[in-house]
Amino acid sequence: MFIPRAIKLLLCAITVLLFSQGASAQSCEPSKVAQKYPSLAGKTIKIGVDPESPPYAFRDSKDLNKIIGADADMARAVFDCAGVKTEFFTAGWPGLLPALRAGQIDVMWDLLYYTPERAKETSFLTYMQAGTGGLVAAGNPKKIDDISKLCGLTVTAGIGTVELTMAQDQSAKCKAANKPEVTIMTSADIASGARLVASKRADVMMYDLALVDGLAKQNPQLYSRGFMVTSGMKIGVGVKKGNADMIAAVSDGLKIMQANQTQKKTFLQYGVDPSLEMPTALLTQ
Amino acid sequence: MTVRINPKAASTLCLLALLPWYPAMAADLDGVQALQGFKELIGYVGSPFLLGGAWVALKITLIAMSIGLVLGLGLALMRLSRFKTVNSAAWGYIWFVRGTPQLLQLVFIFDALPLIGLRFDEVTTAVVGFALNEAAFSAELFRAGILSVNRSQSTAAAALGMGPLLALRRIILPQSMRAVIPGLANDTIGMLKLTSIASVIFVNELTFRSQQVVGQNFKFFTVFGAAAVIYLFLTSAISLLQVWLERMFDHERDHKVSFSWFGLRASKSEARAADAPPDVKEPDVGNHAWISTLLPLESRTPRQPDEPFVACRNVWKSYGKREILRGVDLAIAHGEVVVILGPSGSGKSTLLKLINHLEPLDWGAIKVDSQYVGYREVPGGGGTVKPLHNLARARAEARVGMVFQHFNLFSHLSALDNIVEAQCQVYGVPRVEAQALGRELLKSVGLAAHADFLPHRLSGGQQQRVAIARALAIKPKLMLFDEPTSALDPELVGEVLGVMRGLADAGMTMIVVTHEIRFARDVADRVVFMDGGEVIEQGTPQQVIDNPAHERTRKFLNVVVNQT
Repeated sequence: MFIPRAIKLLLCAITVLLFSQGASAQSCEPSKVAQKYPSLAGKTIKIGVDPESPPYAFRDSKDLNKIIGADADMARAVFDCAGVKTEFFTAGWPGLLPALRAGQIDVMWDLLYYTPERAKETSFLTYMQAGTGGLVAAGNPKKIDDISKLCGLTVTAGIGTVELTMAQDQSAKCKAANKPEVTIMTSADIASGARLVASKRADVMMYDLALVDGLAKQNPQLYSRGFMVTSGMKIGVGVKKGNADMIAAVSDGLKIMQANQTQKKTFLQYGVDPSLEMPTALLTQ
Repeated sequence: MTVRINPKAASTLCLLALLPWYPAMAADLDGVQALQGFKELIGYVGSPFLLGGAWVALKITLIAMSIGLVLGLGLALMRLSRFKTVNSAAWGYIWFVRGTPQLLQLVFIFDALPLIGLRFDEVTTAVVGFALNEAAFSAELFRAGILSVNRSQSTAAAALGMGPLLALRRIILPQSMRAVIPGLANDTIGMLKLTSIASVIFVNELTFRSQQVVGQNFKFFTVFGAAAVIYLFLTSAISLLQVWLERMFDHERDHKVSFSWFGLRASKSEARAADAPPDVKEPDVGNHAWISTLLPLESRTPRQPDEPFVACRNVWKSYGKREILRGVDLAIAHGEVVVILGPSGSGKSTLLKLINHLEPLDWGAIKVDSQYVGYREVPGGGGTVKPLHNLARARAEARVGMVFQHFNLFSHLSALDNIVEAQCQVYGVPRVEAQALGRELLKSVGLAAHADFLPHRLSGGQQQRVAIARALAIKPKLMLFDEPTSALDPELVGEVLGVMRGLADAGMTMIVVTHEIRFARDVADRVVFMDGGEVIEQGTPQQVIDNPAHERTRKFLNVVVNQT
């Protein structure tokens, strides 16, 4: 972390050089938006987020009208780079994907896990891999240190999330092993899921790792991280199928942000493990 | 205006304030922490971010409610229509909208309609969604309100020449509001809180915003507490509006406490009507000669002297399979007073209702002053008639006044306003002029001091005299009286008959259905006896009452005379 500034700059310069040789798109050229992404020129991009998901997208406590977070900051940086204006559109998480399909928002940029099912309607530009954390009561009194220990316990996860599916799979495994099944409670948002753990109505909340770690760090008297799972799931930006210019703009922007370390810095700033970053790829099915 | 604190309510308030302390104690918070929490809560109540969300919720509610009420009233009228298709269309809409989850409706409008090119932004979607929903719910409230108003009110309005829409606006709706307002207030409060489900379609309202703040700082007790305080403030405003509206539409207002909310009770001395005892002494008006001065000139000069003023020709009428009138022929001269006698069910009242076209006739024709009332002759149809489209206007032009057995005064209007209403709304008389005539008429029926009383403060006899004054205000050429004294206590009959006598003396053409044999004998130029839907015999009172030619007449008179 204590690399002298000159070396840092040099590294940056080398990386930029390396990439710019490969493709002309590998540097920010906001003024050339009309040539590079003609259909986006002059447009204000509607970024769909659920601002209840720290550290990815949440309200800035200093100015509640501002949305910050690892995803929100990255989205801003990528579209600044492309040369288009942005506007955050906020809704409950379950409303985001349908709105993207209907064209009410242009991108969904909020901890969206790639699944082949979702990719049928939405194109994904992945930028990190997922880690799932199990949030438990402070001190982990029930010694839940692995996902396999969930049999017979109560787990909460968000409606329509990948963690919910993981909990259901685990329940099936418990049943197959003749152990009591997992009781699953769905929660509408993260805060209400966390309250279930605090009030001991649920033993575990399964959610994104960074979020779970953040919660445990901010509220040590209430929560600990019981276990983590690296599922190999990928997280990406959702773009409506066939929106070529948008896909190109996000893809180019993400590559640049990864090359110039913006993504790593942003992740560090919000307590997301930078090692989760993975090279941008377009997944369409 | 006096304001006093109700000790009972004040202590309830204190108890309510203590309630939040309990969970605070249970959560092991000491006094300082709890106080800190309350300070934080107050801070969030003033947060522009949360207040902005409240404004979004309020804005959606106000606009959606306004649109929804207009649509709802339309739907309610469709539901009351006698046309089957219109009725079922409204029923189908209400059935569908009430029966499907509102969340799904919102998502459908926001996310599915863009596929067919209808793209609404989030606030518009919420307004449209909530308005369509409110239309369905308020339609049933309006329908209940309209049905709760006695049918006699619309009959009276129709007899005064008011069209259905005018009667709805001026007579039926004001009276139904009392039944409708509490339900509408419920709907408004419900909608304000329910706007939070619109967060799924990107509406950033109060609940969603407080969830976001909680998502960022996890202080759900203080943030949600603040949201609750803001909601309570808004819903209190709606409740106050409800109180105010209910007062406005309360037609017995002189009995009511004017304002009472949360133990704060303000009352003020009420309208002058309540101060005056209902039985104000009126100067005795024995001389009714004045009435002739009110009659329109043309009604005193017959234009076609050879034609009868009222001509009923072969009139048939049945309700379902029951025949009420079976070929009635009746001719009445200008200025004549005709009393129709007959047992109940003989078709007397129905005949009156056919004369001013309150009911359609099945066959035959009736002319008043040489004109059909709301009919036109079918060309080449040999005298058959067809009803006109604008019936209300035809009734107004015919100028036939009607007085009902149960008075049918508009119960939300004062005696004077009852008289002024049709003059202003139907005949376009300037209000000042109409009021002057109204006061003159009230004076002449002996009720000058009762002008500002609501009907429910008047005795039956007084109400019927106001009803006669109301009918006279439209300057009628013909007056119909449908058992005007049957609903009165015996001692009140005289005052009404006195007014009618004055009217007859003044030369008014009158058809009176009554059982008052003495009145018939003294006042009538001619008595008509009806039975079984037919005119059995007619002639001077001496002929029909004292020497009836027909057995049925004799029988009837025996019964009636022995009773009185």
